[in-house]
Amino acid sequence: MTDTTSMTQASGGGLSAQKLGLIAVAVLLAGLIAVPVAVGDEFVYHIFITICLFAALSTAWNIVGGYAGQLSLGHAIFYGIGGYAGVILVNLGISPWFGMFAGAAVAVVAAIVVSWPCFRLHGPFFALATIAFLEVFRVLALHFRELTGGATGLMIQLNIGWEWMVFRERLPALLIAFGMLLVCLAVAWAIRSHRLGFYLVATRERESAAKAAGVGTVKVRLMAVSISAALSAMVGTFHAMYLTFIEPESMFSLQFSIQIAMFALIGGIGTVWGPLLGAVLLVPITEFARGALGSEAIGLHGFVYGVVLMLVVLFLPNGIMGVVHRFTSGSEKTEGEQAAPVAAAPRSAVPHEAGREVMRVEGLQKHFGGLHVTNDVGFTLREGEILGVIGPNGAGKTTVFNMLSGFLKPDEGRVSVLSPSGEWQEPATPADFATLGVGRTFQIVQPFAAMTVEENIMVGAFHRHPHVGDAREAARETAHRMGLGPYLNAEAASLTIGGLKRLEVARVMAMEPRILLLDEVMAGINQTDVRRAVDLMLSIRDTGVSIIAIEHVMQAVMSLSDRVIVINSGQIIAQGDPQEVVRDEHVIEAYLGKEFTHA
Amino acid sequence: MTLKTLLTATAVSALVAGAAQAEVKFGALYPFSGGLALLGEESFRGVELAVDEINAAGGIQGEQIELVRGDAVDNNQAIGEARRLISREDVKAILGTYSSSRSIAASQVAELSGIPYFELGAVADEVTGRDLQYLFRTNPTAETMGIMTIDMILDEIAPGLGVEASDLVIGVIHEDSAYGTSVAGHQEEYGAEKGLNIVTVQGYPSSTVDMSSLVLDLKDRSVNIVLQTSYQNDSVLFLNQSAEAGFEPDAIIGGGGGYSLTATEEAVGALMEGVLDVDFTQYAVNTEFTPGLEDFLVAYQNKYGEEPRSGHSLNNYVGAMAVLEGIGAGEGFEPDQIVAAVKAIDIPAGETAAGYGVHFGDQNQNDRAMMMGMQWQGGKLVTVYPRDAAVAEFQIGD
Amino acid sequence: MDTFLQIVANGLMLGGLFAIVAVGLTLIFGIVKVINFAHGEFLMVGMYLTFLLSTGMDVHPYLTAAAVAPALFVLGALTQRLLIQPLMSARDEHVQIFATVGLSTALMNLALLVFGADIANTPAHGVRSQVMLGEVRILTGQLWVFGAAILLVIGLQLFMKKTRTGRAIRATAQNRAAARLMGINDKFIYILTFGLGAACVGLGSSLIAPLYPTSPTIGTYFVLIAFVCVVLGGLGSIPGAFFGALVIGLVDALSGFYIGSDLREAVVFTIFLLILILKPSGLFGTRMNLSHVSP
Repeated sequence: MTDTTSMTQASGGGLSAQKLGLIAVAVLLAGLIAVPVAVGDEFVYHIFITICLFAALSTAWNIVGGYAGQLSLGHAIFYGIGGYAGVILVNLGISPWFGMFAGAAVAVVAAIVVSWPCFRLHGPFFALATIAFLEVFRVLALHFRELTGGATGLMIQLNIGWEWMVFRERLPALLIAFGMLLVCLAVAWAIRSHRLGFYLVATRERESAAKAAGVGTVKVRLMAVSISAALSAMVGTFHAMYLTFIEPESMFSLQFSIQIAMFALIGGIGTVWGPLLGAVLLVPITEFARGALGSEAIGLHGFVYGVVLMLVVLFLPNGIMGVVHRFTSGSEKTEGEQAAPVAAAPRSAVPHEAGREVMRVEGLQKHFGGLHVTNDVGFTLREGEILGVIGPNGAGKTTVFNMLSGFLKPDEGRVSVLSPSGEWQEPATPADFATLGVGRTFQIVQPFAAMTVEENIMVGAFHRHPHVGDAREAARETAHRMGLGPYLNAEAASLTIGGLKRLEVARVMAMEPRILLLDEVMAGINQTDVRRAVDLMLSIRDTGVSIIAIEHVMQAVMSLSDRVIVINSGQIIAQGDPQEVVRDEHVIEAYLGKEFTHA
Repeated sequence: MTLKTLLTATAVSALVAGAAQAEVKFGALYPFSGGLALLGEESFRGVELAVDEINAAGGIQGEQIELVRGDAVDNNQAIGEARRLISREDVKAILGTYSSSRSIAASQVAELSGIPYFELGAVADEVTGRDLQYLFRTNPTAETMGIMTIDMILDEIAPGLGVEASDLVIGVIHEDSAYGTSVAGHQEEYGAEKGLNIVTVQGYPSSTVDMSSLVLDLKDRSVNIVLQTSYQNDSVLFLNQSAEAGFEPDAIIGGGGGYSLTATEEAVGALMEGVLDVDFTQYAVNTEFTPGLEDFLVAYQNKYGEEPRSGHSLNNYVGAMAVLEGIGAGEGFEPDQIVAAVKAIDIPAGETAAGYGVHFGDQNQNDRAMMMGMQWQGGKLVTVYPRDAAVAEFQIGD
Repeated sequence: MDTFLQIVANGLMLGGLFAIVAVGLTLIFGIVKVINFAHGEFLMVGMYLTFLLSTGMDVHPYLTAAAVAPALFVLGALTQRLLIQPLMSARDEHVQIFATVGLSTALMNLALLVFGADIANTPAHGVRSQVMLGEVRILTGQLWVFGAAILLVIGLQLFMKKTRTGRAIRATAQNRAAARLMGINDKFIYILTFGLGAACVGLGSSLIAPLYPTSPTIGTYFVLIAFVCVVLGGLGSIPGAFFGALVIGLVDALSGFYIGSDLREAVVFTIFLLILILKPSGLFGTRMNLSHVSP
């Protein structure tokens, strides 16, 4: 305790909050070893081993439950698999050091089998599905006695030594538990600070926007679940050796699964250090409550525990890390006007010539139930061309866009894109389109609310730059170009609507697309911003990017577009030069009604 | 004050309930909270009464005994509490545990620490099947229970019904935790050995709310002897749903748990009449065979103001008395002295309040431990088997 | 054949039992969109109240429903107002689940504290007597439960379709934001719905108590099964929950007989998973947008 205070006092002022946080974590981790060694008491060892164990499991859970946002209440499946694999192999004479990898491998397979079909389920449904899987596993473990020993469980021989993970003294067990905690924390930290972590959080926040940014949302979630399952299984193996005895009731327990998730929740879900904090704080409190209340009356301890859980959830809904965050970031809030000038390069004076065809759209048809929303839409897009798409509300523009980016499959017709190597391809999924260099924005902005502006743009930048450093570099560059430079560290949620629209474009731009689909990026922003946006789009076009833009702001469409398509009731009613199109009587009729056509 | 003592004072003493002045400490590790709390507490009362009695008579080796409670609410906790008792409380031995799985987990810890562990109530075979040096068990096991059930069929039921034992159609059902599973396993094995016709062995979760399908299955197979190892809820369900389905086997033999509890009888009323039960010694027993039982009941009533809720307290009392007196006759409280002392215990059958003798044989299991066969007669659970412990006639057939 | 008919009858009766628990849950899960892990404990509380009232005042347990259902309504409404509502705006929807886990733990242990782990037996007052339908035996109490479940479903359905409040509840379930724009007080609607769901299970508990021994842990078995019934029937569909419960009752009874009583939970949960994965709108549900559940 004295150590902590002196250190914070000595280094207080000069250090940033982040560094201070890291020091606090380091002190905390050191304490996990130092306290039991200093006290030298077996029971204290047990408490600290339990802390490490829960912190490790909770950290592993957090990769799925926090980063990926999939609330698993069946994580004991993986822990149990690890435990059983370890014990079964030990009884065959194989060291748990190998057994834990075998367990991890089985757990990864189980994780993929369990989660793949469940990913289309969200929130409560995913949670219920994982509970159901857990129940099935438990019943099967009870049923297949030859393998699992059934209800009577399995024991290990008390072979003492490092190779068997069984010890007379407690320090080695603590060291192993601590080591596993470090591994889990390191993996969790590595994921969070690399591409996978960004992709997971992006997928959690806005699945469709993540897809548009080229994220294989199913793939990244499967990776998260696999890593989490492998870590949980390894911890399970260790715990089985520590318990020396396992049974289905305790290895595949719903209570246990909920507890793991709870530590993460109380510490701060989705944060790297939250689960650790949760376990460090809660395990001793639980033990103390049990010691103080357990012998008073049957049920009193459980009652108090339940009440405390409710209170914690009510008053710390974002966990301990939420409180920590509020204290540390209060002063760093971004201030100031968000309409910084767009640093658009001056337009080249040379009139623009459209190049070769890069996208062909042929005969698209789409029905929603009885509604014919797209009827025989076809056009081509040339390199370096800006194609405006206009039409009244409900004309089916966004539906066409969804088919041009893989979010909807047309009933008939096809979309082909010229690949960089010069072949025509017909991509099917958003990821395919992204790979070919088609980027899109959404009419209703889809920021990743839990991320900063920089991180939002990085999600796009990762498409071309897999390394964090490069992606950050690219994101900053894009942000400055888009006039978002001053807000790099602001939470995306704090931006104005104009800012969000720009962020939406910036994220796509960071993907360095060859074809850019912009869905009403100018709707709802003020005149100055519209002018800036027009300049921006022209400068983008001048770098050779082809743009298809749905717009309502006619002034913008007219000054921007090389060509215009008018869609009404799912059909193209006119296309061609902007000035000519607006004089077309079908177009006037569509926009203003029949009586205006002859006016 | 050194850092070490400071940390010890703050981090540790906070976790530990204050200790009173006592000369020799023993740990009592039972589930005091959670789902098994009722019978865990009941078991502990037996130990508490034994300690009171011994302390009143001057303690052991001239020292008073203090019991330190540990709450084995789950397996990990059983380990933690065992460690706390051993390292913080410095207990000389641990008594416990009622639940087999927690006993197995906690006794592994005691073994590694070299502290004697006395199991007074858990029945699973695995408790003593592990070649442990410091683990002793005084109570009868699942195997005793399974064998006793089958013997009762052979000795009393088949003759009482006037049929060959091999002509009986036997169905074994059990709750699917370690307890029911291991008892049923022994019933199946030993029954087959004796040439009995066991047509089905079925497990079910004890929390179930419906057993009608199981009842119909037994009925469909024309089962006339049902062996059920169960807790309270499932005993009630089975008896009720059997009656509702018109399933009337010639005999139902319960295996402890729910079948020994008065509350079960209150729940099902007349359906309980004639139902058999194999369990630890209960209270309506021939007291010539169980000397000290009446005194135990008086002491229980005085201390807790109620009747014992089950035979668990009695069996833990008997086990604790035997072990503690055995240690008292020894030469000290070092682990090896305790082990030597209890290995010398030699109490013949018919001299304890539970009827069975105490002598640790192979694997440190009490090889004189036995159960009793009982029957619900007129709303009371009376001992009917074996004959020398019986207080009432075995009623079977008409 | 007789055995088969008996199993089917048992399955249907069991389904009626599940239904009366699940109907309340489908209101809470389907409309307030909260996984209420404490739903089983609501049942447990209701059963203890029934036990106390019927033994204390020596009245028929069914009559106690007049007091138990309102009491549970209050419990449910308070849960929503004090525990769930403050968390509705929390960034993470997970926290609500943990709040109900806390409530469940607290209630279960409170019962343990007050009543002990022993079972409590509500007097049967004749509902355990049998009636014969041909060769099939059924308890009168089971028939009452079944009948009450049907009446409850019809009553709730009429309430939802015909009354102003009912329509407001449905509107809120479909689109909370739009409902609020229409001047519906969504917070009040949620409190009402949660209370109503709890009151349904309160009614059920007065009917169930004389049939089953009451213990602090009785709710844990029912709560998972009730979720299965609700999802099977289609989220928020009241008749769906009823038919889902019948299906689960039948599956439970048939698998218990033909597959083995130790595996029937596995069968039930496997069916649940298949439905969840293959047809998340449920067997009887109308197409409901699941995205309403998670933002």
